[in-house]
Amino acid sequence: MKKLLLATWVLAGLVSCKKTATPADENEHESVNRIVFSFASSGNAARDFVMEDPDGDGGNPPSRIDTIKLATGVTYTLDVKTYNLVNGVAKDITSVISSQSSSHELFFIPTGVTLTITKNDKDRNNYPVGLNSTWVVGSAATGSLRFKVMHKPAGLKGPNDAPTVGHSDIDLNIPIKLQ
Amino acid sequence: MHKKQWSCLFFFFLITVLYNSELTAQTCRYTLTGVIKYAGTKKANAGLTVMVKPGNFTSTTDSLGAYTITQLCRQQYTVEVYKKNVLLQQRSVNMAGMVTLNFEMVDEETSLDEVIVNAKRDANINTIKQTVSEKDINQTRGQTLGEVLQRVNGVTVLQTGSTIFKPVIHGLHSQRILILNNGVRQEGQQWGSEHAPEIDPFTADKFTVLKGAGALKYGSDAIGGAVLVEPKALPETPGTTGEINSAYFDNNRMYVLSGMVQQNLKKIPALSWRLQATYKRGGNSRTPDYWLWNTGVKEFNYAASVIYRKQRFTTELFLSAFNTDLGIFIGSHIGNLTDLQTAIQSKKPTQNIDAFSYEIGRPRQEVSHFLLKSKTMYKLSEWYKLNIILSRQENIRQEYDRAIITNRPELDLNIGTTILDISVEQNEGKPSQTQLGVTGTLQENVWSGSRFFIPNFKSTNLSAYAIRKWNTQAWLLETGLRYDYKTLTTFRNQNNQTRSLEQNFNNISASVGATYKINRDLRLLMNAAMAWRAPQVNELFVNGLHHGSASFEIGDSTLKSEKAYNFSAQLKYEPDSSWNIDIGVYYNLIDDFINLVPSVPPTLTLRGAYPTFRYIQTNALLAGTDISVQKIFNQHWTGGVKAAILFARDRVKNDWLLQMPANRFEYDLTYNFSTRQMRNSYVQLKWIQVLEQTRVPTGFTDYLPPPPAYNLLNIEFATTLQIYNKSTTFGLSVLNSLNTQYRDYMNRFRYFNDEVGRSLVLRVKIPL
Repeated sequence: MKKLLLATWVLAGLVSCKKTATPADENEHESVNRIVFSFASSGNAARDFVMEDPDGDGGNPPSRIDTIKLATGVTYTLDVKTYNLVNGVAKDITSVISSQSSSHELFFIPTGVTLTITKNDKDRNNYPVGLNSTWVVGSAATGSLRFKVMHKPAGLKGPNDAPTVGHSDIDLNIPIKLQ
Repeated sequence: MHKKQWSCLFFFFLITVLYNSELTAQTCRYTLTGVIKYAGTKKANAGLTVMVKPGNFTSTTDSLGAYTITQLCRQQYTVEVYKKNVLLQQRSVNMAGMVTLNFEMVDEETSLDEVIVNAKRDANINTIKQTVSEKDINQTRGQTLGEVLQRVNGVTVLQTGSTIFKPVIHGLHSQRILILNNGVRQEGQQWGSEHAPEIDPFTADKFTVLKGAGALKYGSDAIGGAVLVEPKALPETPGTTGEINSAYFDNNRMYVLSGMVQQNLKKIPALSWRLQATYKRGGNSRTPDYWLWNTGVKEFNYAASVIYRKQRFTTELFLSAFNTDLGIFIGSHIGNLTDLQTAIQSKKPTQNIDAFSYEIGRPRQEVSHFLLKSKTMYKLSEWYKLNIILSRQENIRQEYDRAIITNRPELDLNIGTTILDISVEQNEGKPSQTQLGVTGTLQENVWSGSRFFIPNFKSTNLSAYAIRKWNTQAWLLETGLRYDYKTLTTFRNQNNQTRSLEQNFNNISASVGATYKINRDLRLLMNAAMAWRAPQVNELFVNGLHHGSASFEIGDSTLKSEKAYNFSAQLKYEPDSSWNIDIGVYYNLIDDFINLVPSVPPTLTLRGAYPTFRYIQTNALLAGTDISVQKIFNQHWTGGVKAAILFARDRVKNDWLLQMPANRFEYDLTYNFSTRQMRNSYVQLKWIQVLEQTRVPTGFTDYLPPPPAYNLLNIEFATTLQIYNKSTTFGLSVLNSLNTQYRDYMNRFRYFNDEVGRSLVLRVKIPL
């Protein structure tokens, strides 16, 4: 009996031997901290605009938010790419969002500029996603674009959701210039 | 379907009761009742054991001194009255019908003696303490520990939605409260306001709340108070007994089943054991207007204990496991400040699915807590005994919130704690007693996941304490002194750079208490205590998002220890056996009170802006009163009034403190049937009134002002029936019987949803 007791204690002690001295990385991983907007138009090279916050939530504010510059009268196709940046290594996690497209939706809300934006991709319920969209650029102006990725778990998503449904995975104000 | 289920259940219950009570009535059906009083004072003598032989039928006298024993046959019996296993009186009785047998105990058992008897068992008599009554325990079976403790006047709960309840004593909670689970300090991630205590109330049958900082023996950091959760003593007489408890809550269709079996071995009378297990499963809760999606709960707990008792030596091994999986209301999971404002503006949650389900999805918490404890008592001599308690706890907490890349939890915390406590206690029976002890604690915390909240740490705590008590005819005095030395080493990894930091904290705590018996009916208790609490690792190093509140919390590694100067007094007045008046007042000064306050600028992220909160130190004052008056009108009617009032000030800003419980009043009226068939039956109406919290800081504009006052009406019915010769207890409660729509200031989810609506609860307790 006493031996068993002792063994239990030793075991309890062993189990508790943890690697406290080498803790996990404190920077938030498994989250989006780099976003690339890639605009393509026929006959031109794609234009990339980057938004990133390498140290994640907290710490320093986002270190880079590019001004989106688009040519007036042109029709673009936008591909949104999301990355997880840890210690300078970027991992493309766009496919994670597209594989969970039935619980995500992207929103582009322009102010001060005229843009006609149409989401091209659909999820398995035939509801809009927004990783791929078509942009018809209006007249020259300067304004801002609110970009949101809404997470809508467990059947919250509908065909015509307002940008407030779900909770924000991404919510950014990006300066935009049509010239 | 749901309603059908219910009525089916009720019908079954009714049939079973009627059928069986009819059946047993045919055999031995005589009842022995009586009242035991003190010979001189004629006051009720509660807590005595009455045993009828042969057959060993037992009953314990209630607050009126009354006892009842049923199922007796037409024959001669011996009736014995015991107080703590000491035979006080013996009489014989011839049963032929319903017999009343009253006793009077000799006068040396005065009420002061009661106090001293308690003092001998408990080192903290001079702290204001209150035990959850047996009636309240029975009425809360199947509910969480926080809900059980809320039955004590002055205790409220800090809620996170409908699934997480934390006890709040006189406005203080989390790491300012110490919970002793079967004699061991509960160590988990208790700093989190959404981290409920990982204890199954079914493992215990006694819940004591020590109000104020006087509980030095258990730790200096309990500046708000301590909670003792204690199981029933293991059996000392040979035989096997057990109990089955079950409950069904209609609001969230939750069923709870708990079983216990215990034995004292005939062949080895020194050895006793007990096994206990609880299973709980509930689905979404419902407010008067809508369901709350993802508010289900699943819990499985078990415990085992074995004790070996000899004349000079007792050793005990206790093991328990608590496992819970609980959903967090989907509408509370918000991304940023904009989402929070959207959620607040809509009267009804928009991010909700208005339907019932047992399914638990994200966001959710999965928590396991394991405890292994060995306690040994050795009588060194006639006057001294040695206690050694060694314990190991493991707490695994996994919090799942938004899952972008993997299915792993975003926050995974694993904390292990080893505590060794050695004390020498002077035996009872002397006019003065001393207790000396040393405690050593080793703790390690490891986190993993994708969302940083608190760092890895190692902490050691060494402490020594001395408690001395003196008893005289009118006075009971107690002083305590304690010294603590704490080392905290934190390990961090920021941008691939690993650093460690060692911090030391040490301090002296002291308490002095006195109970004075003014006269036979009036007793005054006074207590003064000085205690301190080292800053916890979250207050020092937290840096992260607090989900559900859309706030970004930032710690301060230069925080000092909090120091509390606590003064309290309690007046107990029992002018005749029908009145019970209890007035407590407290005045708790806390210097360097660690407080989470809003700060600018907001934290900017790719996910939007978050309001930022920082831990800063201020001086606080928490003062208030707990008043309880009870009156027994006659054998049928009893009534009571309770009030709990708290004022919490920030002495530096000269303003109120944030998130403190509002004034609370309770009125109850009970009808006891007191008839032969319905001896332990009663109907109780309880009206709970919580006022609007108007004492809120002026500097901080809350997202939503404190909700208005509300009134709740609860109805409780209980009865004990003889079924197959077993005293089976049935309870039927209607909680929030008027289906009142309300929100509570102390619920962190008051921004998002109403509180749950009406719930019918059915409870059955069957002894084996």
